[in-house]
Amino acid sequence: MLINNLNSYSSLLKDYTELRVQENRTLRISLVKGNLVKNTKEIIGGVSARVNKKGSWGFVSIPEINLESIKKAIQEAGYNAAFLNSKANKGKERFLPSNPTMEKSFATHKTRLTQKEIMDYVKAVDAYIMTKYPNLINRDIHVQCLDMEKNLLTSDGASLYSMLPRSIIYVDLTLEKDGQPVNVTNVFGGRGQFEDNFDTPDKLYLELDKTYEHLLKKSEGVYADAGVKECILDAKLAGILAHEAIGHTTESDLVLGGSVAGDYLNKQVASSLVSLVDFAHTYNGELCPVPIYIDDEGTKSEDTVIIKDGILKSFMHNKETAQHFNVSPTGNARAFEYFDEPLVRMRNTAIIPGNSKLEDMIASIEDGYYLIDPSNGQADSTSEFMFGVTLGYEIKNGKLGRGIKDTTISGVAFDVLKTVSMVSDDMNWSAGGFCGKKQLITVGMGGPAVKCKINIGGR
Amino acid sequence: MEKKEILKYCIDSLSESGVDKSQCILNYSKKDELNVDIGEISLFRTTFDTNLEITAIHENRKGSISINKLDKDSIDKAIVDLLELSRTSEIDEAYDISPKQETKVFSSGDEKPDLDKMYSLMDGFVVKVKDMYPQIKLEQAIFDFVKTEEYLMNSNGVDFQSNKGIYNFTPIFTSKDDENTTSFNYTQVSLSELKKDLLECGSINYLLRESVEQLKSKPLEGKFVGDIIITPDCLYDFIYFLNSINLSDNTLISGTSTFKDKINKKVASPKFTLHSNPVSEEICNGYFVTDDGFEAENLTIIKDGVLKSFLLSQYGANKTKLERSKNTGGAYIVESGDKTLDKLIKDIDRGIVIARFSGGEPSPNGDFSGVAKNSFYIENGEIKYPITETMISGNLNELLLNIKDISKERINFGSTVLPWISTSGITISGK
Repeated sequence: MLINNLNSYSSLLKDYTELRVQENRTLRISLVKGNLVKNTKEIIGGVSARVNKKGSWGFVSIPEINLESIKKAIQEAGYNAAFLNSKANKGKERFLPSNPTMEKSFATHKTRLTQKEIMDYVKAVDAYIMTKYPNLINRDIHVQCLDMEKNLLTSDGASLYSMLPRSIIYVDLTLEKDGQPVNVTNVFGGRGQFEDNFDTPDKLYLELDKTYEHLLKKSEGVYADAGVKECILDAKLAGILAHEAIGHTTESDLVLGGSVAGDYLNKQVASSLVSLVDFAHTYNGELCPVPIYIDDEGTKSEDTVIIKDGILKSFMHNKETAQHFNVSPTGNARAFEYFDEPLVRMRNTAIIPGNSKLEDMIASIEDGYYLIDPSNGQADSTSEFMFGVTLGYEIKNGKLGRGIKDTTISGVAFDVLKTVSMVSDDMNWSAGGFCGKKQLITVGMGGPAVKCKINIGGR
Repeated sequence: MEKKEILKYCIDSLSESGVDKSQCILNYSKKDELNVDIGEISLFRTTFDTNLEITAIHENRKGSISINKLDKDSIDKAIVDLLELSRTSEIDEAYDISPKQETKVFSSGDEKPDLDKMYSLMDGFVVKVKDMYPQIKLEQAIFDFVKTEEYLMNSNGVDFQSNKGIYNFTPIFTSKDDENTTSFNYTQVSLSELKKDLLECGSINYLLRESVEQLKSKPLEGKFVGDIIITPDCLYDFIYFLNSINLSDNTLISGTSTFKDKINKKVASPKFTLHSNPVSEEICNGYFVTDDGFEAENLTIIKDGVLKSFLLSQYGANKTKLERSKNTGGAYIVESGDKTLDKLIKDIDRGIVIARFSGGEPSPNGDFSGVAKNSFYIENGEIKYPITETMISGNLNELLLNIKDISKERINFGSTVLPWISTSGITISGK
């Protein structure tokens, strides 16, 4: 159990200190071809303290949550900071104080399902796929539910209680074509506990049928013609474009580490059709997939406008990088587990919708590709990004053609975004993935469909 | 309760609740970690952790739970949750626990870190990098010592204890001058003791030197089918993919592995031999016990191009009616070849040296594509220039069969020992 209020420990926080008590609860169920290969629960929690002495950080985490462990974490984090400070005194000033306070829980208000009810749901989805599509050689269903519950208190008096849940079902369908396996994946769910995202199994069936239709077309698919092509990146892909291509290069710690974005502040880096924002918690009056109100350093989270009408406007900051750049911290410091220190992380990174219609965008391409579903991606200090594409189609003379096999697209973000010539008027948010940067973290990614020129892998 | 008493308590409690079989793993760890951020030692992080993983099988239904609190109330609650997990599970006769084996205590590495020495080595590394490679931006470097004490017991009487101390060093860096920025690069090396400068460990110095050379990178023009030389750092990614799509439990249970009928058949060039040796003297960061409760043994996955073993757990083996593997992967060692790296380069008419693969996981049939990062163009047996914006695509199974040569030189990363490999038939496309 978490301690509901850390304020009684405020007298223990002498130097600049963040005290955090956190518990992550995870449920994982995996059915592979109907076989239950994973059925696990994980409850990992504890206390951590991070202390800053004149620019040197000390951090200590302990799994027990009680007065003794809290005292020990604070004391030993202080020792660690002092150890570094004794080796090299950086002489840095204390951060400007801020003390927002917030309690925010996204726990379900519905009656919690039992383990059996969740298992029955998964088995019903599996049975539907097996019965309706007997020609599949494999079907994978993976359930992952994560509840992140945390309490934070800083020496400046900032405090936070938050409970941020996410529940996801990944479905992967495989059939065999000419002796070779071909697969397509779909992802369901997002912010919220299982009860809020998954009502009855039949609500997934229409999307599963569409997934199967895509699989059939992909199994007849061809290799993409490798090279730079005109492409429509579907709204599902635009989010990962925002995250990988631009988001990472504008994280201020990576800017300090040499990211090319550091050279481009207030310069034109994209078509004037492109605006890109890392939203703290709300977009257009609606909650984002990963709403962050106060970050893990106790900073009130604000939207970070990264690109406005094609101009690079600002970077995402924690307290330390904000001090370096002499700007205000943006509330982007986030930690995944209780034993992780806060790092500069994205929250809900999105390209802002434009005015075009997807069908007009497809019709405008003579020879190119319509790319729909992404897999993993990676960023670079040069802004040269890549991400996998697991579902896409040729575009020939303005019409969709054959499906294409799995491929990868890449480009230098600040070049690719200058080729953006149309942006659709819709918006799609995804919240199924993790971002990796020393630690994992949940992130939201969003955007409209985008027309651009990009390098596609193939034969 | 202390250590083994906790495990005995869990097993006894589950037995009293009518559970047929159970396994418990209790892990205590302490990590001491020094972090360099933007060229300065900035953070000293210490994490204490415990993890208790309990697995129960009852009437061929299985569940597992992990907690990191060891008080009796937390354990009792976990056992109640576990009983619900297993009771609502699916019946599967392949679920099992390992049979009784000889009780053993395994140990490797130091008991405690030498923090002053760690600081001195880290500081020395930062200073030397600034001195030798002023264009390098040391974005981050993580130097840690992890001490683990792990106990595994099950209801068949298995009783293993593993004690391990290991140092790990991971630098992440890019190069920057007035005009250019290179792709970031990174590597990791594990060390059992602190005997030499960090710059001299693994491939670190080699990669730093190449990073500076990459300031003169330019895009590759056009598209061709050519050869690639995969560096030791990059080779790990391809072995990981090989495991994921062809050798592991899920791919064999689902039947999507294209190697499923290939035991004792040719799957690679005869020059290629791949071991997974977690208890080899060459590997300082291996393991002694598998997660499913067996003493880990070294095994050969591919011998002279012929597939000799999958990487199947007890469950995977029971499910597929194939032989359980002697371990569950990692600690990869690829045997060296008979030519130098220079000779591998000389034998290539047109191709690239790929030092980092930034791409998606291959399709189940082995097709892959991705960006060749930190890489160099080869023409007429010579490295011509470093490249950017270059993609490669091919098929993993064909890549193994097309291996031309393997270098004499290898890098020992502590957790793997890998050479340079040249192979052909890869589509290489630039702008």
